[in-house]
Amino acid sequence: MTTSPLTDELVLETLRQVIDPELGVNIVDLGLIYRFAYADGKLTVTMTLTTPGCPMHDSIAAGVKNILLGLEGVTDAEVEVVWDPSWHPSMMTEAGRRLTGTEIS
Amino acid sequence: MEAMSPTFAEVKSKAASRKTVRPAATPSLAGFQAASVRLPLCFVLVGVLSLLVGGGFLLAQPDLLATYHYTPHVLAVTHLFVLGFISSIVMGAMYQLVPVTLEVQLHSERLVKFQFAVHVLGFAGMVWAFWDFNMARVGIFGSVLTFGVGLFVFNLVRTLAMVKGWRASKCGIASALFWLSATVLAGLLLVGTKFWGFSPFLPLAAMHAHAHLGVIGAFVLMIVTVSYKLVPMFTLSELQSERRAWWSVSLLNLGLLGAFAAILWQSPLKLVFAAVIVVALMIYGWEILAILRARNRRTLDWGMKYFLTAIALLIPLSAVALVLSWSRLPMTAFTMQLENVYGLIALLGLVGLAILGMLYKIVPFLVWFHSYSRQIGRAKVPALADMYSVPLQIAGYWTFLAGLVVSGAATAWSHETGIRWGCGLLALSLGIFALNMAKILAHFVRPKIEAFTKKASTPAKTL
Repeated sequence: MTTSPLTDELVLETLRQVIDPELGVNIVDLGLIYRFAYADGKLTVTMTLTTPGCPMHDSIAAGVKNILLGLEGVTDAEVEVVWDPSWHPSMMTEAGRRLTGTEIS
Repeated sequence: MEAMSPTFAEVKSKAASRKTVRPAATPSLAGFQAASVRLPLCFVLVGVLSLLVGGGFLLAQPDLLATYHYTPHVLAVTHLFVLGFISSIVMGAMYQLVPVTLEVQLHSERLVKFQFAVHVLGFAGMVWAFWDFNMARVGIFGSVLTFGVGLFVFNLVRTLAMVKGWRASKCGIASALFWLSATVLAGLLLVGTKFWGFSPFLPLAAMHAHAHLGVIGAFVLMIVTVSYKLVPMFTLSELQSERRAWWSVSLLNLGLLGAFAAILWQSPLKLVFAAVIVVALMIYGWEILAILRARNRRTLDWGMKYFLTAIALLIPLSAVALVLSWSRLPMTAFTMQLENVYGLIALLGLVGLAILGMLYKIVPFLVWFHSYSRQIGRAKVPALADMYSVPLQIAGYWTFLAGLVVSGAATAWSHETGIRWGCGLLALSLGIFALNMAKILAHFVRPKIEAFTKKASTPAKTL
């Protein structure tokens, strides 16, 4: 039990508003969000991008930080972009697969 | 509170449990830096304008394609296409894509600004000088252009030097830069021999050797190399065989070296080296097919279809190249026109269509980056595909292909009316393309930003 108004669903729902502009799909359904943790007003997100060296690297990471800072109870947000484990289409949700026309072999 | 994304939790239990999460090489938000968006966009705009002007020339003067290509006006229009359209866009794209492909930062942005000015002055002056067939002026503006190419190559070589090891992609880009330098130097030498009236080689052979250095060495090699990164990136696939990538790049280099010498000395070995290049392209095609078969994104967007169609044009292009390389081929009016068809397929078909396809990726990205990158997470921003009309893109694709087939066939038979119809279709396609580019650029002037829905800042429930 915590006094924080945050819930996992709220964080994910909020992050769903950030899209990968190339694929046109939000970063949650793409499976780019690996984990997040909240403590003392600070929300830390560990995420990846579809390709190392992705030109959208800065924009998407900054976008995640921006949108998280708009959440009630979040005074600081940290975004850590990692390449290991690397992203794979199998990490997408059903909605992400449908939106990108992806089949998993 | 600590949580995992549901899909990641599942994946982790299957495959990634043995791994710890490792930070990216550049954990700060600085990331990998390409040139600022405005500069590549300036190159791209100059390229698109050159393409439209060049298309207009062909429409107004279809006889340019109906006669043999060694005339002042054909040389002027060819250099407008090659330097104004293709080189400008290749340079702008390389400033953007090389840092992405090799995951490094561009050496110097200041140099890009300076090189842009030098490049535009150099190629515009050269086109004007070729039109009047004033070799002294061609030499002056050619020197300016060569200086600009030198700056471009220097900047990218310094960028490449930051990459450790030798991957096929690095080797491909490095060799394309080498051939680009060789092409402009050979061009200058060609102008010098023309001006001073001394050449150990036949002028036509020297011109053909110079053209092959540029088209195969700089452009085809560049297309091959970047597609090993971009095709997997846009189709959610992976390079399937680094060995195939190495073979294709190595054989292209070997074949071009031999073909250049064979063309210059008019050796019958031309056919052998042409065959080496064709084998390299077959290996390249094999790898692209393997990447496509392994792709996770089943639906290909139209930008990719443009690009892949361009690659498919390597098949007829290779066939014509092998025919023209045969040393006993009789020189008839038809075979001489076949050389024009060869140039048309190579420049407009292969390189032109590949560039149009990539522009549907690059220009939306550049404009999006300028207009929306700071808005992401603050407001609702469009996806890249929302910035242009897909029906227009499809119409442009089919009109372009129809125009290429009609103008190619009409060129082979020196049929001026047919060429005019073909060029009309190509011009229509370019008009459609320009319209779509204008739609994208409208986002540059007036971004379309919508506010998020309220739930982003209001908790749905509390723990």
